Amino acid sequence: MSDAAAHALDHHEPVTSTGIPNKKVLMWAFLGSDCMFFGTLISTHLIYRKISATVGGNFLDIRDVFDIELTSFSTFILLASSLFMALAVSAIHKGNLTSTRWMLFGTIIFGAIFLACQVYEFTHFVYAPGNELTLSSYRGEPHVFGSTFYVLTGTHGTHVAIGVFWLIGWLVYSFTGKMSTSDAMDVECCGLYWHFVDIVWIIIFPVVYLMEYAF
Amino acid sequence: MTKQIHLSKFPQRFTVFIYGFLLILLGSCSRIDHKQSALDPKGLVSQNQYDVFMLSVWITIFLFCAVGGCLLFVLWRFRAKSKEEAMEVPEQMHGNSKIETTLILASAIILVILAVPTLQGVVLMNRVPDPNDQATLDKLELDRSQIEDAITVNVTGKRFFWVFEYPQYGIVTANELVFPASKAVRVNLRTEDVIHSFWLPKLAGKMDLMPGQENFMWFIADEKKIRTGIDKDGNPYEVDIPTAMPSVFDGKMRQAIFAKQAFTDEFEAVGGLFYGQCAEYCGNSHAYMSFRALAQTDKDFDEWVLKFRNAQNPNLQPSAYSSQNNYDKGDVVTFSDKKLGDDMSRDFRAVQAVTKGQNPETKPDAWEKVHSDDFEKGKALFSSLQCVQCHAINRTGLGAKGPNLTLFGLRTSLAAGWMRNDETSLDKWLRNSNDIKFGNLMWNGEGIDDRHPLRQLEDDDEKVSQLVTYLLDLK
Amino acid sequence: MAIESLKYASPDTETKIEAKVFPRPSQHTAGIVDWLTTIDHKKIGLMYGMAALFFLLVGGIEALLIRSQLWSHNMEVLTNREYNQMFTMHGTTMVFLVIMPLSAAFFNYLMPLQIGARDVAFPRMNALSLWCFVSGGIILNLSWFFTGGSPAIGWFGYAPLTDTRFAEVLGDMGPDFWIFSLQMLGLASLLASFNFITTIINMRAPGMTMMRMPVFTWMTLIVSFLIILAFPAITIALVELMFDRTYGTNFYDFLEGGKPHLWQHLFWIFGHPEVYILILPAMGIVSEVIPVFSRKPLFGYGLVIFSGAIIGFMGFAVWSHHMFTTGMGVVATSAFSILTMLIAIPTGVKIFNWIGTMWDGRIRFDTPMLFALGFITMFMIGGFTGIMHSSVPIDAQHQDSYFVVAHFHYVLIGGALFGLFCGFYFWLPKMTGRMLNEKLGKLVFTLMFIGFNLTFFPMHYLGMIGQPRRTHSYNEGHGFETWNQIATIGSFILGIGIAIGVYQFVSAFFNKRLKPAGKNPWDARTLEWTLSSPVKEYNFARNPIIKARDQAWENNYGPKENHSQKEPLDDHGVHMPDRSWYPLLTAIGLFVMVIGMLFHASIDASGELVRNYTVAIAGGVVSTVGIIMWSLEGPAGYHLFPKEKEE
Repeated sequence: MSDAAAHALDHHEPVTSTGIPNKKVLMWAFLGSDCMFFGTLISTHLIYRKISATVGGNFLDIRDVFDIELTSFSTFILLASSLFMALAVSAIHKGNLTSTRWMLFGTIIFGAIFLACQVYEFTHFVYAPGNELTLSSYRGEPHVFGSTFYVLTGTHGTHVAIGVFWLIGWLVYSFTGKMSTSDAMDVECCGLYWHFVDIVWIIIFPVVYLMEYAF
Repeated sequence: MTKQIHLSKFPQRFTVFIYGFLLILLGSCSRIDHKQSALDPKGLVSQNQYDVFMLSVWITIFLFCAVGGCLLFVLWRFRAKSKEEAMEVPEQMHGNSKIETTLILASAIILVILAVPTLQGVVLMNRVPDPNDQATLDKLELDRSQIEDAITVNVTGKRFFWVFEYPQYGIVTANELVFPASKAVRVNLRTEDVIHSFWLPKLAGKMDLMPGQENFMWFIADEKKIRTGIDKDGNPYEVDIPTAMPSVFDGKMRQAIFAKQAFTDEFEAVGGLFYGQCAEYCGNSHAYMSFRALAQTDKDFDEWVLKFRNAQNPNLQPSAYSSQNNYDKGDVVTFSDKKLGDDMSRDFRAVQAVTKGQNPETKPDAWEKVHSDDFEKGKALFSSLQCVQCHAINRTGLGAKGPNLTLFGLRTSLAAGWMRNDETSLDKWLRNSNDIKFGNLMWNGEGIDDRHPLRQLEDDDEKVSQLVTYLLDLK
Repeated sequence: MAIESLKYASPDTETKIEAKVFPRPSQHTAGIVDWLTTIDHKKIGLMYGMAALFFLLVGGIEALLIRSQLWSHNMEVLTNREYNQMFTMHGTTMVFLVIMPLSAAFFNYLMPLQIGARDVAFPRMNALSLWCFVSGGIILNLSWFFTGGSPAIGWFGYAPLTDTRFAEVLGDMGPDFWIFSLQMLGLASLLASFNFITTIINMRAPGMTMMRMPVFTWMTLIVSFLIILAFPAITIALVELMFDRTYGTNFYDFLEGGKPHLWQHLFWIFGHPEVYILILPAMGIVSEVIPVFSRKPLFGYGLVIFSGAIIGFMGFAVWSHHMFTTGMGVVATSAFSILTMLIAIPTGVKIFNWIGTMWDGRIRFDTPMLFALGFITMFMIGGFTGIMHSSVPIDAQHQDSYFVVAHFHYVLIGGALFGLFCGFYFWLPKMTGRMLNEKLGKLVFTLMFIGFNLTFFPMHYLGMIGQPRRTHSYNEGHGFETWNQIATIGSFILGIGIAIGVYQFVSAFFNKRLKPAGKNPWDARTLEWTLSSPVKEYNFARNPIIKARDQAWENNYGPKENHSQKEPLDDHGVHMPDRSWYPLLTAIGLFVMVIGMLFHASIDASGELVRNYTVAIAGGVVSTVGIIMWSLEGPAGYHLFPKEKEE
């Protein structure tokens, strides 16, 4: 069956060649591509990490500026939000609108907390007395760590922010009275995206933060 | 549905024309020893690159003929000759895995033929042979001393010229790389701005100059090839050393090139002269960033190094005359000379032993002028026109913005290899270099505008000729 | 990333919601509004094609200026900076604004027809990628009018030449325009590729298994995967460059700890798959044309597809062969050298299979076939010189010389462009319903073939005798003059050939005197040839049920059980989604955002840097609103009731 539209009109899930809905295939393709985005950013960071260690011959310890407790906390929060997301998807599949709403709300709040932590972290790093880490310098010396760090974590933050806005869109939509199980697939796509963003953070957190403490 | 289809027949005349044309094109490249030609290798490394290239050329010509011939045969043999035939339905064959597999294996084998010399070539390009590895040396027909006595040159690329530093001798020159023909030359490549690429086609291929990284290449010239000339009929003949590799230090190289050859000649008459160029796009004047390499016999090279070291040794620069000193015959001092102008001084050489207080003014007989008046005036202009802000003369130093001009009179080329270094060209260059090399930094660089004295030279015959005299007499 | 939200209410309620903001163009919309709001893959394909042909002429004029400057030594047709801008713009235009969108045009127009679909999976997203491509093209060419003019950095913009530190004109904006236009074009390609992948995987007609798909569709799928995996690398590289230039980060600033080498790696990790993104569609086209004009199925169908996939896969493992002279060390260069040689094998396989296809055929030499044969021979030469470059010692001489210029023009003109012209001559009868003039077509081929070889064959020799690429001038005494003059003459012949060709393509849509084409003028093999020419709005009145690989051919010549069948007509008729303004609005929003980013920084009276994001944010808001409205409006639609025979 070729045309998604023709079938959806009859309020059926479109019959596709693979049986997977179009939007889910699209989402998976996008996530595959997004892997390469983060792959590039993470490898940039890893390549520069060693070079970053010294500036003007002095060894610089990036741990002086990191606040690992806060980041661990926000990591936990972000991972927990994935649970809410999964529950939201499950709820909409069952047609439980109230539960969907609450779970979406929970995801949004946790996502927002993560973003708030990141905003705090960025501001704190930039103005850390004696250890200022900016886009182009560390402790006032030209440095690459700030460049790779902010652009990598910033890109991830942007992903989270987009996800939060998307979820807010669903939350608002749930109050229009139009939301039904037929939207489950769309919410699921949103969920795929959200889980992906979480998984990326699971990679970023050890690579960018924990590794500074291990090696 | 209609079964009438249009039939276009085999385009015979067209094909014949095309392949005829390709053959003519191939055949007409008869002389290949152009100044910057990679097809005329004169060194070990470039010869290896050339050999692998020619191997690949023959492989591909073979493949092109085989596959192309096969294609032509198929097109001719299975062409539809009539409308009826064009409507026939041939057997609908979907493939033949045996043929396909055979062809895949065959192409893999052909690639192996190319892969082996490639890998050997990679090693040769990147590593100077170990002088203790006699087997390799024998294979490459090298003498142990050729490797052991290798010289090192640090090349620094700048927009848009080259700095050549010889760390073993502590000297710095620009745009012309003088090297001993019999010795390996290790080249360390660096850049202070963007990426450049050091391409010396007849000796060693190319290697990029990457910012923040030091790259390496090496080459060794082949004296026998340098000494082989080609006459008008294309036959090789042997040339004696003074003709093939005239000495640089006494200006013979420059004279030989200027005497034998017009700048516009396509083929090089002096074997020891090599052309090179920046091969990685580096900005507006990338095209103008060329250089030369001059091969020397060991003896001539040593002489050149000695002369250069003396010229760049600050301790050997003439000091100001001091009335407290005695001077021996031959000593050179600087002393004021009112005839040149107010506050001007010049070099004097003692023609006899001079005692305290006998300065060139009080005892003119004891001193002679080292240089002509124009030279001394030109030298003064070189400072007063702010040339020295960018060009170092008689001093080492990498930091200078422009090319080092030590012993400029021995150079064969001007403006990073762009033109012949003689009175006429230098005259033109000094008057308006922007006309010759549009966008060059001497004319357009930072801090140079219409008020800069350099830009006032255009109609100032006197100053220009004094500068020309000064620069070309630095030898 | 915008995700199309397909929400379905009944069509009539849908239109009511939207009436207030942007009235949705009705079913019978015509003229400019139709073209601006269309979501029909065929119209989008045509617009891709027309825009790309326009840029082909622009890039061609740039090329002719370059060739004029090189006519003889020390020419002054262009200044050095103008010349450098020309070759940068020529390269960028030809790669991103000509070959890629021309391929996209064919993907758009043909792929749904070849798999038996009524449209792509996300029609409005398809429109968005078209408009992103158009605005990317505009942004790139706007650069001529602002500080510093167009970029003069070469099409691969090697760091650190792109760093503001080394700008040769104060406040040079060229590279910024270049960065942002590439980002827009990348977005366009990514969106289109997600769409194509979904369409091919999910929207095949019943019976259209993967191994029954036409080769061109297979190549579309492979290229789409290459795009979604390769473009992120350059997107991130460009983001990093943009941060370097705008916010002073140090990614590529070697004086502050960055590494210019990184740019080259990131660029070529994208750049080499890009080469295959450019050539595989042309290979797909040729693989369709040769069987038709030999009246035989493609020899070794599976192997051709498999080798296409292998080429795509290995394309990610050979990027460093562009960097043999950057000092990567013995091991890395050797490894990449061998891998590069290996990639020649699947490429050779394709050539063997094309010849195998012709074997025992009944070969006709119509214009599409001539272009296909031109493709094979020219691409063969380009491939052979490519093998030479895979050998490091050879590359040490060839790199950045005119030999390389000759090589990639043999691949990109002799290969990609010939293949795409082949596609035009082959499929324009299907698109316009008219046969092109065969004589004029052969004239175009002759001019292009001769002009092309005259231009680029001598460049091999020029490179070998020492002419470096990207030099605006050369000195006398190198022996470059004669061959450059031959090349320049050739380039004008090539230019005339291309211009006539483009004229012929465009006029085919308007010239009523041309012969009508009928459904299947070439007696061709694939599914699209079962449809009327030009193809109806709804493509297939009834969904076809596919029974064999070359369905059109099997319907005519195959056994009865291989004839395709059709699903019964639906009571609802054919549902057609409505046109929409929102893709265009979203693209305009992105365009404004980019313009806002380009001009956000200024220096105030006191010499302080002032950043003003008002315009950029406004653009962002517009495109966000566009996306939201887009997801709210849904596809909506109307119904058509074609007769049995009307397709």
